[in-house]
Amino acid sequence: MADSQPRLLLQIGKRLAAGFVSLIFLAFVVFMIDEVAPGDAAVVKAGEKATLEQVQRIRVQMGLDRPWFIRFPEYVAKAATGDFGASYQGTQEPVSKILASALPLTLSLAGPAILVAIFMGLTLGTIAAVWRGRWPDRLVLAFSTLGVTVPNFVLAPILVLVFSLQLDALPATWESPLRAPAFYYLLLPVLVLSARPSATLVRLTRASMIDTLGQEFIKLARAKGVGPLRLVLRHGLRNAVLPVITSMGTSFGFLLTGSYIVETFFTMPGMGFQALKAIQKNDTPVLMGCVLLTGLLFIVVNLLVDILQPILDPRIREAQI
Amino acid sequence: MKRRNKLGPLFWGSVVFLALLLVMAVIGPSIRHPHDARVGETLQGPSAEFWLGTDDLGRDIFSRLTYGARVSLTVGIVVQIFALVLGITIGMIGALAPKWIAGPVMRFTDGMFAFPDLLLAILIVGIFGFSSAGGILAPLSAVLGSGLTPVIIALAVTAWPSIARLVRGQVATLKQREYVQAARAMGAKPSWLVLKHILPHLWGIILAVSMVDLAAVILAESAMSFLGIGVQPPDASWGTMINQARVNMQAHPLLLVWPCVLLSLTIFALNFVGDGLRDLADPKSEKK
Repeated sequence: MADSQPRLLLQIGKRLAAGFVSLIFLAFVVFMIDEVAPGDAAVVKAGEKATLEQVQRIRVQMGLDRPWFIRFPEYVAKAATGDFGASYQGTQEPVSKILASALPLTLSLAGPAILVAIFMGLTLGTIAAVWRGRWPDRLVLAFSTLGVTVPNFVLAPILVLVFSLQLDALPATWESPLRAPAFYYLLLPVLVLSARPSATLVRLTRASMIDTLGQEFIKLARAKGVGPLRLVLRHGLRNAVLPVITSMGTSFGFLLTGSYIVETFFTMPGMGFQALKAIQKNDTPVLMGCVLLTGLLFIVVNLLVDILQPILDPRIREAQI
Repeated sequence: MKRRNKLGPLFWGSVVFLALLLVMAVIGPSIRHPHDARVGETLQGPSAEFWLGTDDLGRDIFSRLTYGARVSLTVGIVVQIFALVLGITIGMIGALAPKWIAGPVMRFTDGMFAFPDLLLAILIVGIFGFSSAGGILAPLSAVLGSGLTPVIIALAVTAWPSIARLVRGQVATLKQREYVQAARAMGAKPSWLVLKHILPHLWGIILAVSMVDLAAVILAESAMSFLGIGVQPPDASWGTMINQARVNMQAHPLLLVWPCVLLSLTIFALNFVGDGLRDLADPKSEKK
């Protein structure tokens, strides 16, 4: 064990470097899309009545006339310190301030949603694998097929129709100030958001569990008289969970873009809501900030998954050096 | 084990559904014009004249749905064509070009692939403006209608990496095969190798993956239209119809149900057809 420690550190170091590169790549893509698009900050600052010369003067003042390969490192350096520029609209609030107020809400939506998805995925997937081919399996598969094919902007209005409008049990939209504990407001959005990742994780767990349960060591354990519950949970699930963890990073990506839709639907002022508002108002800095931060979250979660893997699975630790 | 006859009733059901959808999309909107608003005939129930009733502006829901099908399929197929051309070209470069070209190209592809696709599409449409379809996009807008062009561009930019990675992987194994090596040893030019010996083997798997990708593109288009940054009025897609139906959803839930059901069924059918084709094209990937 002792000599695998430096190897593990080396591996983690490599992953961190790769994560850093993806971060720069993300910033580059976001920056270049803005570069290629017509119009820039100088046009906005100069106002609608400005002449071409005035715009050009402001552009030089703001340093926007310099080539992109000088401004891109500047942009990254500024973003690294949390400076994403200022909004074009209203009081020209710093983008970082808008993001700081939006991030907690998005996290309180995405965090529980991924937890729900993991819980549902592991339990339902295991149940389906254990009773493979019989009615619990069929039921779970039917639900997971629905979860994959029914988009969240279809699920959201249907759930609101049932739970808010017909049963009047849960609020249909976010309000400020809230008139009930935040839990009630978060219940439907989290449920909608977790549907798709739940469904994909259910399918993966099922497949991986069926694979694991068919292996020799399970037969051996059963022959040794290990009880069914212990057999499935200790011997089966512990091994079956590894490919599920791998796919969690991708699921989280779906979840983040899903939160753009869910937040807009439930009018929750998180990052997705702010991004969509920014699009309607042509507020490019805010939009870029939201996309960068969302991408950052995605990269960080994938990085965590990557680092977690060799720690959880000794086989990967040995194989990849 | 049976090798043939693996395509079950769900596969053929999906094929029939998609065929009907295609027919509906082609002839449906010409039965009655989907933008025709009838004053005084808003929110009608189903009748002989309006098969599925009318919406809040008095427009025939059936023809709106068929029009939505036309828009969704158009966007999906055009995007998929772009994605195939780009993806196959870049995948080939990744597999066959010298390392100093292929390496960076594939790193770029991996980077784009890792990007959550809807996020990138939202960014592109957001920054370029979802209503501006002039300038360099003008020729495309003239063919497709200005309401569709920005969405198509945004989704095409995000859709190609999965095809490129698939093609690269497949070509990398195919070019090691003995018959390809033999052809090369006999002096076949690279272009001949690709066109005669490699590409013909790939169409099956590419078609299968395209079906699943087509579902993803249609889903992304509907999501963007739902958010109001996709297909713009007077064009209608299922996404915009779902969004508009929310207003009256308590009194007229059917307005909401129709586009939801059609969209979900389409996604479902495309996935099923894709899975079936994949089993045919690549028996090794068969599921347990």
